[in-house]
Amino acid sequence: MREQSILIVHPDRKTQRVVQRILGVTGYRVDIADDLEQGIRLMQHHAPLLVVVDGSAAMSPHADAFFSEAQARGTEACMTLLSQDAAEHVPKILTLGAVTNLLVHAMPVLAEELTITAHKLIHRDLFGADKYLLWGTELHTHLVTRSSQRSHLVSSIADAVRARGQSARVASMAQLVADELVSNAVHNAPIDSAGGHFRKDLARDTDIELDERHAVRLRWGCDARYLAIEVTDQFGSLDRDTILSSLAKSDVRDSGGGAGMGIALSYRSCDHLVFNLAPGKRTEIIALIDVRYPPSERAPVSSYNVFVERSP
Amino acid sequence: MSRLQIQPDGGALMLSGAIDETAGLLDLLTRAQGGRLVLDLAGVTFINSLGVRDWIRMQAAATQQKIQIELRHVAEVIIHQLNMIIATRGTARVTSFFAPYACDRCGREESLLIDAVANAAMLAKLTPPAMTCPECSGPMAFNDFPERYFSFLMPTG
Repeated sequence: MREQSILIVHPDRKTQRVVQRILGVTGYRVDIADDLEQGIRLMQHHAPLLVVVDGSAAMSPHADAFFSEAQARGTEACMTLLSQDAAEHVPKILTLGAVTNLLVHAMPVLAEELTITAHKLIHRDLFGADKYLLWGTELHTHLVTRSSQRSHLVSSIADAVRARGQSARVASMAQLVADELVSNAVHNAPIDSAGGHFRKDLARDTDIELDERHAVRLRWGCDARYLAIEVTDQFGSLDRDTILSSLAKSDVRDSGGGAGMGIALSYRSCDHLVFNLAPGKRTEIIALIDVRYPPSERAPVSSYNVFVERSP
Repeated sequence: MSRLQIQPDGGALMLSGAIDETAGLLDLLTRAQGGRLVLDLAGVTFINSLGVRDWIRMQAAATQQKIQIELRHVAEVIIHQLNMIIATRGTARVTSFFAPYACDRCGREESLLIDAVANAAMLAKLTPPAMTCPECSGPMAFNDFPERYFSFLMPTG
């Protein structure tokens, strides 16, 4: 049976204590290591559910060995904490292909993000944008039953966001993210019995009727901290490796169809992108746009999470 | 979402609305005059990944056909793409663009036009031009990171 533990690897003692205090509330055993080598040794005694490592660890020569060990020990999530001034580490972190969660934040904000991630894993309850919003926040639900509804829907969301007092920048980001995620769910998510993405090359302006299985659900809401946009398809065909390689794209080029370009643009157009995957059943993508800060105070890179539903 | 509208205005083409899968930007090149195409982008409200792809194809074709594109009054939504996706820049020349400013005194946020030619020296040093608030006449501060927002003006390596 899995040891109920979380492993923190961070060279800074103060950060170790802060993160330990935050994650200690889960009731899980929290182990601390100063570096990746020590972390590897600890993992050989306790197989942690979650490992939390400092962003600079990606530059360590032991990074590959550490993440391989975590994977071999069945660790479900590898989270990297990155201070806003360490954005240059992001490309390396993404190319490791093993970091399923990246949180770019100042420490006071970190607590809620860390806690949500830990609770999602511990309680095996991954889905729903409501986990990221304050209690009582209304989520508006739209069901896309024809592909031609996308354009009007995303435009109306942008108008509604503006009407609720948010800036033109936030409305514009919401419109772009909603457009990309719905387009992805309609055209890239559907697969046939052989696993082929049969609709990905279809012209996006072709109107398609979407039956119950193919309909796409969009929910959005704002709690004055985050504007959340959640898009769900019922195929569950998006996988972790595709996501991480899409996020790793440092430049989006004219590379044909597929989910990559839309995901890359969505990631760069929001503050936090969350992927909840139930393979073969559904994919839910949640984009969080932080509405508290002007562009001049936004983090230079965005956070992400990739969660995969465990088999019961 | 309004489809892309194209209106001639003097020697320029004024684009307004959304650049998406229906935009058909390649057709714009047939309207170049003397190897030159001037696009006024003040009215562009939206561009998605399919619009970006179309835009890149237009830029590549313009380079191949030796058509010099001038972009003026470039809306913020386009600037974000020019900054994120290097291939969108092509060989086009940006002569003016909108940028976010905020007033420290009254809190007003505004997208203001910057003349990229007149301010070229300052912009090369990542210094945003000073602006005055249209509401309270107070000084407005640039409301983004200059190194991020002006990166489209920098030479690509």
